[in-house]
Amino acid sequence: MKKTVDVSIPLGPMHPCWKEPVRLKCETAGERVLHTEVELGYMKKGIERIMRGRPWQEVMFLAERVCGICSVVHNMVFIEAMELISDIAVPPRAAYLRVVANELDRVASHILANFSYCYTIEHETLAMYLLNTRERVLDNLERLTGSRINTAYMIPGGVRFDLLPEDAATMLADLAKVEEELKRYVQIFESGPLIGLRSRGIGYMSREDAIRAHTVGPTARASGVEDCDLRLRHPTYRALGFEQVTRTEGDNFARVMLRFQEVFQSIDLIRKCVDTLPAGHIRGGGLCRAGEVSYSGEAPRGELTYTIKTDDFGRVLDIAIRTPSIMNIEACAHYMVVNATSIADVTSTFISSDPCIACNER
Amino acid sequence: MTGRCLYEKDLRPLKYNILTSTKHDATVRAIANRLGVSDAKLRRLLIQRLDMSLLENIETRWEMGLRYADDGDPLAKELGCELFSRFIPLLDQERMKEIYEETRALAQEIPFEGAIVRGKALIREAILS
Repeated sequence: MKKTVDVSIPLGPMHPCWKEPVRLKCETAGERVLHTEVELGYMKKGIERIMRGRPWQEVMFLAERVCGICSVVHNMVFIEAMELISDIAVPPRAAYLRVVANELDRVASHILANFSYCYTIEHETLAMYLLNTRERVLDNLERLTGSRINTAYMIPGGVRFDLLPEDAATMLADLAKVEEELKRYVQIFESGPLIGLRSRGIGYMSREDAIRAHTVGPTARASGVEDCDLRLRHPTYRALGFEQVTRTEGDNFARVMLRFQEVFQSIDLIRKCVDTLPAGHIRGGGLCRAGEVSYSGEAPRGELTYTIKTDDFGRVLDIAIRTPSIMNIEACAHYMVVNATSIADVTSTFISSDPCIACNER
Repeated sequence: MTGRCLYEKDLRPLKYNILTSTKHDATVRAIANRLGVSDAKLRRLLIQRLDMSLLENIETRWEMGLRYADDGDPLAKELGCELFSRFIPLLDQERMKEIYEETRALAQEIPFEGAIVRGKALIREAILS
């Protein structure tokens, strides 16, 4: 008879499947995972402390360096929080261009997350296809903002660059290709029998658990949490007729598929923005003033909150950043991974929650 | 935790850093106030019992607990049954259930407020033990 031994299996901090260093300590009974602990602290930046006492012009650049994958939304949430404090209005054209930049960033982030998942379950072909497609998206982000990663595109009262008509046409043509390619990849993912074995019913998280840990973004939406996408409350997205995508399975398959669905939705939003782009200025101007605000925006991974206090010169006196990965990683370690029937599913489940350690450690 | 294996780090300073950031500090003070224990004592307990991801997420869990825990049961709501066992796991659910039953029995004999005070004292005692 096979003997069952209780062992502690450490995964990481350096693991081939992790994009960033983190350590998961899994207590197991044979192959079954009983309990998991997360060990952080391998890349703590202390960026909130660096931000304190600096003028907004410097903090703006620091904010997008919290995370390299979703840098645009960090820039956007910080700037929109400053605009809220200082009562600065944004011209309609700039508001639409912000959505274009944000959605391009979301597409790139979701494709990268799904690449990581496919790579973790060792479907390297699909993973590389996805990474190749992501390049086209980043090229378009560069076309709009002048940079692929740290764009610093948004400033109080507007954006830095306009979208030229010839660039808009190239962007739409590129996005049509991305959409066409992704349709094929989604079909591969949906119908792959081995992908199904590694994904369907694995890493299940119920809606109640998702609410308890305040899980956000695609991780929450894949567990059936309704009304959790902050784009529903954003005025520009509301004008574009945005609707939340939700799935109810709550497993790895649902999380990856939901991200694919959101990519198609983001491409539609960009199309709508470009087609109905209002004429006018891209900068309204304004002065940053003293005040205190807590403002949230929808990052690719979920709710991102900046709590900022400024003085009369727009200097940041105090700042606290709550990133979506804080909630998602915790929920993954304490709900999704627990009771996994195989230790091999821990890595894929962890990656399916799209963990960002840079965001978590900020 | 320390000295078990060569690769085991002492996480206490890192956990302390998490708990003393602006918003986490406010949350710890609110929890300590609700439980009736000192901030320092609660911080030590949290560092001992919870892992780093849970400590990072304690602020949101506290918010969600205040919003959703023990809905529909005034006694459980006052005691924080789900709040301190499922949202902020400081006590295991069996022990919390025992305290709840004990307090409910007490509430039949003495006024509700008195039973709540006694129940909270039991929770505090169980958490600190």
